[in-house]
Amino acid sequence: MFEKVLLYQVVVVAISSVMLFQGIKEFVKRESGQTVLKLLVRLVVWGGMTVIAVYPDISYKFSRIVGIEDNITAVIVTGFLFVLLIIFKLLSAIEKLEQNVSELTRRDSLREAHERIEQLRRDIVDKERPGQR
Amino acid sequence: MDTRVVIVIPVYNEAQVIGEVLAEIRSIGAYPVIVVDDGSADDSFVQASVRGALTLRHRINRGKGAAVKTGIMAANLLEPDVVVTMDGDGQHDPADIAGLIRPVVEKGYDVVLGSRTMNSVDMPKIKVAANNIGNFFTWLFYGIWVSDSQSGFRAYSKYAALIIDTKADKYEYDSKVIREIKTNRLEFTEVPVQTRYTEYSQGKKQKQGFVNGMITLLRMIWNMLT
Repeated sequence: MFEKVLLYQVVVVAISSVMLFQGIKEFVKRESGQTVLKLLVRLVVWGGMTVIAVYPDISYKFSRIVGIEDNITAVIVTGFLFVLLIIFKLLSAIEKLEQNVSELTRRDSLREAHERIEQLRRDIVDKERPGQR
Repeated sequence: MDTRVVIVIPVYNEAQVIGEVLAEIRSIGAYPVIVVDDGSADDSFVQASVRGALTLRHRINRGKGAAVKTGIMAANLLEPDVVVTMDGDGQHDPADIAGLIRPVVEKGYDVVLGSRTMNSVDMPKIKVAANNIGNFFTWLFYGIWVSDSQSGFRAYSKYAALIIDTKADKYEYDSKVIREIKTNRLEFTEVPVQTRYTEYSQGKKQKQGFVNGMITLLRMIWNMLT
C-alpha cells in the first residue's frame, strides 16, 4: 500500500493536518476570534485539500468535468497549496504586526493623556459629590 | 442618582466640523467627551481640545475601530455607567443620545445600537443597499441579525464597555462588536437614530462608502480564514 503513496500526498496531508489541528485547538481553547463558522471554513478548506491528496481520483474526475485532464494537476495543486500557504502566513504576520502597532499607538496615547484623564475623573467626582452619587 | 455618561468620538481630519459637533453635545448636556484624534493631518486635535473635550492623539492613523477602542479604554478610566460612541463628522444628532442611553439605564441592556435604517427616510438608496449587505454578512459570520450593523452610534453599559474586546482596527470594528455581543451573551437592543447626510460627510474620502464597505467585507472574510 505504502509504495503507492507519493511525496506530494505526504506533504499536503502534513500541512493540512497542522492547519486543522491549529484550528481545532484554537476553537476548543476559545481563543479570541474563533467562531463555529471559522472552524467550518478551515475544515472545508484544509479537509478538502487532504481528501484531494489522499484520493487524487476525485481531482481527476473533477479535472475531467472541468476539462483539464492530465498528470500535471498534482503539481499544479501542490504549487497552489504552497503559494496559498505562504500568502496566508505572510498576511497573518502582517495582520499581527498591524495589531501590535495599533496597541503601541493606543498605549502611547493613553500614557500621554494619563494626567488629563485623572484630572477629568477628579472633576467629575467633585461635580457629582453634592448630588451623592 | 445621576448616571455618569461619557461620550467617545473618533476623528480623522474633522477639524472643519468637530467644534460644531462638540458645541451641539454641550447644548444638550454636560457630558464628558473624549475625542480620539486618529493621526489627523489637520488640526482636529487642537479644535477638539480648545472646545473642552479630553483629546487623545494617535501618532499615526490606525483606523476608526482602533480609535474607538482607545476612546472606550480612556472612558473606562472615568468609571462611567454608560459609554456612548458617535462619529465626529456631524452625521449623528446628539439629541439621540438620551434615547440611546435610556435602555441601558432603565432596562439594564448592555448594548444599544443606534439604527439608521429604522429611520431611513433620508438615507440614500445605495447606503440602504450597502447596509443590508453588511447586515447579511454580519449575520452570516457572527450569528446575530441587526438592522444596522455599520452604525457607530452606540451606547454601552459599564460592563459591556469593559468586556468588549476586538482587535479590529478599521471599519469592521462595528461588525466585530456584534460578534462580541454574541460571544459574551450581552443583552442588546436597537433604537432609531437620525442621520444627517451633509455635503461635508458625503464628500469625505475616508467614509464607509461602497469601496470601503467591500474592503471591510474582505477583511471580515479574511479574519474568518486566518
